[in-house]
Amino acid sequence: MNAMAHDETSPMKQRLAISTSRMAGLLLFAALGGAAAFGPALVGHDPASQSLLDARQGPSAEHLLGTDHLGRDMAARLLSGARLSLGLALLSVVSAGIPGALLGVLAARSGGWTDRLLTAFADAVLALPGLLLVLMLAAIAPGSWWALYVGISLTLWVEYFRYTRQRARVVLAAPQVEASRMLGFGPSLILRRHLIPEIGPGLLTIAAFGAATAVTAVAALGFVSVGIRPPQAEWGVMMTELLPYWREAPWLILQPVAALVLTVLALHLSVGGMRRP
Amino acid sequence: MNTMLDDACVTVSVDELRVHAGRKALLGPVSFSVNAGNTLVVMGETGAGKSLVAQAILGNLPEQLHADGVIEVDGGRVDNVPVNVRAASWGRQIAALPQEPWRALSPLKRSARHVSETYRHVAHHADPEAACAKAFEALGLTGSEARLPGELSGGMAQRLAFAAATAGGAPILLADEPTKGLDSDRRARVVELLSAVPRQGGTLIAITHDVAVARALGGSLIVLREGEVVEQGDTRSILAAPSHPYTQELIAADPSTWPQTLPVAPGEVLLKACDLSVKRAGRLLIEGLDILVRAGERVALVGPSGIGKTSLLDTLAGLQTPASGLVQRAGDLGTRAVQKLYQDPPAAFPPHVSLKVCLQDAARLNGTPWTEVEDLLARLAVPLSLLDRRPDAVSGGELQRVALARALSARPRVLLADEPTSRLDPITQARTLEMLAEIADARRLGIVLVTHDVDIAERWAHRCVALT
Repeated sequence: MNAMAHDETSPMKQRLAISTSRMAGLLLFAALGGAAAFGPALVGHDPASQSLLDARQGPSAEHLLGTDHLGRDMAARLLSGARLSLGLALLSVVSAGIPGALLGVLAARSGGWTDRLLTAFADAVLALPGLLLVLMLAAIAPGSWWALYVGISLTLWVEYFRYTRQRARVVLAAPQVEASRMLGFGPSLILRRHLIPEIGPGLLTIAAFGAATAVTAVAALGFVSVGIRPPQAEWGVMMTELLPYWREAPWLILQPVAALVLTVLALHLSVGGMRRP
Repeated sequence: MNTMLDDACVTVSVDELRVHAGRKALLGPVSFSVNAGNTLVVMGETGAGKSLVAQAILGNLPEQLHADGVIEVDGGRVDNVPVNVRAASWGRQIAALPQEPWRALSPLKRSARHVSETYRHVAHHADPEAACAKAFEALGLTGSEARLPGELSGGMAQRLAFAAATAGGAPILLADEPTKGLDSDRRARVVELLSAVPRQGGTLIAITHDVAVARALGGSLIVLREGEVVEQGDTRSILAAPSHPYTQELIAADPSTWPQTLPVAPGEVLLKACDLSVKRAGRLLIEGLDILVRAGERVALVGPSGIGKTSLLDTLAGLQTPASGLVQRAGDLGTRAVQKLYQDPPAAFPPHVSLKVCLQDAARLNGTPWTEVEDLLARLAVPLSLLDRRPDAVSGGELQRVALARALSARPRVLLADEPTSRLDPITQARTLEMLAEIADARRLGIVLVTHDVDIAERWAHRCVALT
């Protein structure tokens, strides 16, 4: 501790220092991501293939996590659900984060009417409850994953925008940027040297929380039957389907619930030790 | 409750105080004792460990530092007492006036509440509002009770912080660089406030790098250099006849003792402002000013804080449009031929990027070969190994020299310097300005130096423009 504090690179090390809980979150997230990417191929069962004779079996060598009420392999269904949820979360983080952050920088840089219009638009989106927007889009295209994706992205970009705009305004007005501009720094260097190092860590935090929100939203909508539809394997859909059997086979409903809790926990822990926005 | 008057024997005594970071010694051994009604001044350049003395007495040293030695406050040993217990004496027994006091004020709290809350919750005064009003009157703050700290001038904010720090009735006051960055007028007022503490029977421990402040406060003196005591004794006699070469250097670095710069043959006109008026936030600050900057010439702009020196400099730099009038550049001056040095060097660098990357960017964009930058750094006595660090990991003096090298890598013809040394200690200030002068002479640069120090303006510059 003492030695580290007096190391010459200590500010950098402190910024990158990974706490135990953050490490646990990152490892858990990597495991979940790996399972979602490669798991479905390894399990060797089709998540949709039914076999009523094998319904509601406990874990076995054939079915690692047992089978559901229609005799479908639980492991295959869980992993297929993980792929869907994490894929959707990742896509929506990218499609909300990049435009959100870029618009934030644009608003901070331009000021005036551009800033006012963008801020008003962001406030208008913020005024709608997040799920309502997703529900509206889900009503247009029931059961399709792209409606969820577009809805979630449209809800989440505002956070990136507001955070980036606020921080970028401060940085861009500071002497550090003025000095760099006088030396001939162009927009791309200002972005790389000043804005990204300052705003990046905060954006990563927002991204992790945003991904967790997206995963929860997909499950919540699936659970109330307005999101992904059966027979597609999705955690929220699985919870609805398995809920009637919670007394006879509690381990079944427990599985999608645990998967959801672990995913959200992993995402939150993975940014827990970082500087908060 | 303690008051300054009824405790006659309040003493701070420190025996063999040492501060370590791991195995590295940062300070010590330091021993001293101060009686009630007396003053101790701790002097030394930035990084000499002056603030560690105050922090060790208070008990709020940074976590990774460790203090050894015996510290007694008011007859009781405190160095072995846990911080949370010692915190109970803060404000009641020992008050601390932090560096740059306006940063210690809450920007959203009205001025009077800063003080009346201390009277109410710390001193348990029967009538905190009346006590606060009395303190405001004594400090000439009456009328600004309802104002927020941001609406006060720097000097008023300083007096407010002083009132808040002393409202708890603590007989011991620790003042850490209380005059840093203040002009001579405000400096005199702060010194007046501080010297009232021992006169009223309190104990004052003042940390400063300003020789004039030390002389005015009197009492006893400790001169620190790299954590070691080089001289200790009566303030006035040490300052009159310093025995250690370092103390001599410290005194010689005071701008009032600098030699007068010899006049130069003025070169061609680089920058010319005619009938210039400057506004800030809608308020007209400067009207009808004419300024000429010639090659090889050093022009000083002096004036009290808030007069618009920085705004004027920004107008000359082309960063701000004049309210009226014109700023003309010589025909062959490009956009990057005018560069600026900043008052707070860390604020002028991207904080998360190493100095090397920053300098390399500047050199590449301006077509300056890297070897030339390295030569420049060598002349400025900046070791190349320093460049791997980030701006917050080097000292202010070093960073200001890196800033100078960075500005010069754009091959400027005019350098606008906004109080470039006001946050540096006198030795570093003298060295930095000496190097700036040397390089400016060699390159025939025109320099505009903004300063609040009349001595620097008169002795260092060729020409002085006073703004009133």
